[in-house]
Amino acid sequence: MEKVTAIVIGGGATGVGILRDLAMRGVDAMLIEQRDLAHGTSSRYHGLLHSGARYAVKDAEAGRECIEENTILRRIGRHCVEATEGFFVRTVEDPEDFEAKWVEGCKNCGISAVQISVEEALRLEPNLSPKIKAVYRVPDAAIDGFRMVWQNVASARRYGAKVRTYTEVVRINSTNGQVTGVTVRDYFTGQEYQIACDFVISAVGSWAGELAAKAGLQVGVQPDKGTLIAFNHRIASRVINRLHQASDGDIFVPHGSITILGTTSMAADKADDTEPSVEEVKKLLNIGRVLFENIDDYRILRAFTGTRPLYSADPNAKGRGASRGFVTLDHAHDGLKGFISIVGGKFTTYRLMAEKAVDMVCEYLGNKTPCRTAEEDIVEDPSEALMGRAKKFFPVHGASLAASRLGAEGLSRVVDKLEKQPSSRQLVCECENVTLAEVEEAAADPTSFTLSDVRRKTRMGMGTCQGAFCTYRTVGTMVANDLTNGQDSKELLKDFIEARWKGIRHVLWGNAIRETELTRGIYEGTLNVNGAMKK
Amino acid sequence: MSKHVVNPDLCTACTVCVAHCPVAEVVREYRGPKLSGPASERLRLLSPQDDASLDFCSNCKNCDISCPSGVPISTLNMKARAKMWEGKPEPQGRKMMAHGEQMGKLLARFPGAASIVNLGMGLGKSLGMMDMVGISSKAPLPSYASTTFYKQFKSFKQKSFDKKVVFYPGCTINFNQPEIGMDVVKVLQANGYEVLVDEEFVCCGSPLVVGGYLGEANENARKNTSLMNKWRAKGYPVITACTSCGLMLKQEYQELFHHEGMDKNAENIYDIMEFLSMLDDEDKLNTNFGQVNDTMLYHAPCHLRAQGMGLPALDVLSLIPGYRIENAAAGCCGMSGSYGMQANKREISLKVGEKLFNRIRQAGVKSVVSDCGTCRLQIGDGAKVQAIHPVQIVARAYAAK
Ligand SMILES: Cc1cc2nc3c(=O)[nH]c(=O)nc-3n(C[C@H](O)[C@H](O)[C@H](O)COP(=O)(O)OP(=O)(O)OC[C@H]3O[C@@H](n4cnc5c(N)ncnc54)[C@H](O)[C@@H]3O)c2cc1C
Ligand code: SF4
Ligand code: SF4
Repeated sequence: MEKVTAIVIGGGATGVGILRDLAMRGVDAMLIEQRDLAHGTSSRYHGLLHSGARYAVKDAEAGRECIEENTILRRIGRHCVEATEGFFVRTVEDPEDFEAKWVEGCKNCGISAVQISVEEALRLEPNLSPKIKAVYRVPDAAIDGFRMVWQNVASARRYGAKVRTYTEVVRINSTNGQVTGVTVRDYFTGQEYQIACDFVISAVGSWAGELAAKAGLQVGVQPDKGTLIAFNHRIASRVINRLHQASDGDIFVPHGSITILGTTSMAADKADDTEPSVEEVKKLLNIGRVLFENIDDYRILRAFTGTRPLYSADPNAKGRGASRGFVTLDHAHDGLKGFISIVGGKFTTYRLMAEKAVDMVCEYLGNKTPCRTAEEDIVEDPSEALMGRAKKFFPVHGASLAASRLGAEGLSRVVDKLEKQPSSRQLVCECENVTLAEVEEAAADPTSFTLSDVRRKTRMGMGTCQGAFCTYRTVGTMVANDLTNGQDSKELLKDFIEARWKGIRHVLWGNAIRETELTRGIYEGTLNVNGAMKK
Repeated sequence: MSKHVVNPDLCTACTVCVAHCPVAEVVREYRGPKLSGPASERLRLLSPQDDASLDFCSNCKNCDISCPSGVPISTLNMKARAKMWEGKPEPQGRKMMAHGEQMGKLLARFPGAASIVNLGMGLGKSLGMMDMVGISSKAPLPSYASTTFYKQFKSFKQKSFDKKVVFYPGCTINFNQPEIGMDVVKVLQANGYEVLVDEEFVCCGSPLVVGGYLGEANENARKNTSLMNKWRAKGYPVITACTSCGLMLKQEYQELFHHEGMDKNAENIYDIMEFLSMLDDEDKLNTNFGQVNDTMLYHAPCHLRAQGMGLPALDVLSLIPGYRIENAAAGCCGMSGSYGMQANKREISLKVGEKLFNRIRQAGVKSVVSDCGTCRLQIGDGAKVQAIHPVQIVARAYAAK
């Protein structure tokens, strides 16, 4: 039987952070994820690297945690963080008396909040409503969930860690109150097998309750559902927050080529209850209109939903971790040694959460290696020479986009291919500037099984046309390069279009419906994927 | 017109524009309108970066014409290009071609200067001096007339009528081809209109936009718009006889700038052939034409087609007895303003025009009719035929009576 020291369950921000930290401290570790990396909340979230200003009044501790981690991540995570800065904007609808409290709160937490004139704010962000009343600059930033997860895994692998995707943990095995390993199920074959280990760290976010139950334990996590809207272009080049008591639908985050507005909040039944609704979208637009009066002119690409892992502490439970934002539970106190759950928290604090969880494991192992995740860059900078070579092949923006998607190593492989194989220079996805070479690089990775896996790694299909053109091109590429894993090409096409459709059908008006009709024409008409047209 | 011209959201990525871009058809290095326009615009909002590909766009507007979603693609290109060029050294040739009006004004002040400059340009071409500043020594360049349109107009005795129009000649007609402007006046007179001119008008700004001088173009737009507002208030329509001026004044102003009255002025500006065709629709056109026994081919300028007014020249010219004219329908001539005059674009320009030149050669005509001055230059050079403005035929038909 395969054996490792520690198994991390969950390929979200928390899990990959733990994996990297374990590996950097020399602990033999493997990450297990039921689907693709970032399948859970870490790709269905807002992407705001909080400065902490949002929590400055209500939860100073969370505020301080955020600004510390924000500062670290802007440094070590340059390739997945966009240091956009943020505005806190008081609109006509926001009570004036909150402002002073908030300014004071930021000061207490050590968050820089600098007031600028409304004119200056409008010059910097011309699409903002001219009716706004007051504006402050804060060090908010945007963080790309896919890339961050992917880059952490790349780094962990360099330190010897293993990753297994499309593998679900179905049981935690133990003898005499000590963890001995896990039983897992292969998503594609349905086959079950065991992997032995001394420690299991549950980093499954909203699934924490479900997973603990598999070990006969209880963890009080209540999934809370939030919906977000992605717009086709950057409405603003900074994060725009409302200067009021934190509430629904009040933040716009620019993300690469798009902007995300969110979020709603309501209790969900299950961790994977990720279906948005038209009502939620309309609600968000209504709230967003106060900041951007022309919001209805902007094209919506899609709506999507994630679930927050809200932790409700059981007052009788022992071994609670330090922070109110998240907790590290050592289930030795519940009678199962070697099983640790980490729950709650935010994307912004993933590194800190990982550090605390790994500290706990290392304590048991007597491993004294200090945590270095706050010092070492997640991925290296590509060299100037490499960027120079890349720029020859990518359209102008493509080179830097590709560099941030792939990291130096990946980019260097891709550029090699581009240099040697002229046919690989073709743009498969024009909206997001993704070349054939890059699609092939992503498709050949051991964690890629479906077209959606390739999409998440490349951003292919996530721009304006939402897969209308790149889907058939990519399937063609996969078939031509034997990357389909025996899957039927028609099914690949349908799966991909289906996955895109999931986010589009709740925003079917204006430009989105025109795009959808074009897509329908291509796939149902020209390619006849549904077989409606008989031979 | 949309408030958000830089908003790339209308594009569905359908790629129709790429299939219609004459430059993308002949140059592999050009990534085409979809990518350089709306697709890159999303990425330019993310990080402004240089895009060498933008330099290929000729602003011919065939992309805009073909786009089923109404994306002002070429304007996105021009704005991005101006931004990219901002603060960088300006090549002499680009500067010269964008500021033709200055040269024209300078020459108009000194009698005889035009012929010296024309000679000089010829000399410059043969000595390769033009190539040194980036202007092709192989391209036909507009020559300057000895007397400007405004001067000729002043000495022309008009009949006075109640119905009045204001004629906007633009640089080409004023400085290079005043005879066309005089024919416009004569034709309007024959239809019972008194023609006014307004020497306060400045260059429409089209060459400035293409050259990346958006600030100067904006100043011109401000000035022209306020003058046009004045004439509109009086109820006088404005007539143009250059399709690029017309397109700029009617459409591109609204895509690029924000001045009060531009949208309403657009409805008050008419191309001369559009105006005559409208008179005909209302049965008010003077059709007392004499015989013009000739057979010609018609080339519709891209900037005329971009205005979506049909092909009024064909409608009007087909009324002339004895005269036979057929639409060449062979796409872009390749010149596109000063694009084909640039040293590094001359070859592309000729490749684009090849279809049209072949069509003309096959038709075996001696003269080609076209509403645009630079199209006429290109056709004259590329197909070795005489190229004339449609209003010149109308003037001939009236004179033949
Ligand atoms: C709408 C919304 C907006 C948000 N916005 C922000 C924000 O702007 N900034 C911020 O800092 N935070 C934000 N958050 C919070 C943040 O997204 C989450 O706290 C964070 O992503 C959680 O990461 P995680 O790794 O703990 O969980 P997840 O990303 O959910 O990862 C858990 C993984 O475990 C896997 N898994 C579950 N069960 C099993 C099993 N049995 N076997 C194998 N694998 C399993 C799942 O497939 C999943 O991939 C937001 C949350 C929501 C819902
Ligand atoms: S303006 Fe002309 S050259 Fe430029 S992209 Fe459009 S069609 Fe092509
Ligand atoms: S700009 Fe217009 S024609 Fe070109 S791809 Fe977009 S929608 Fe189609």
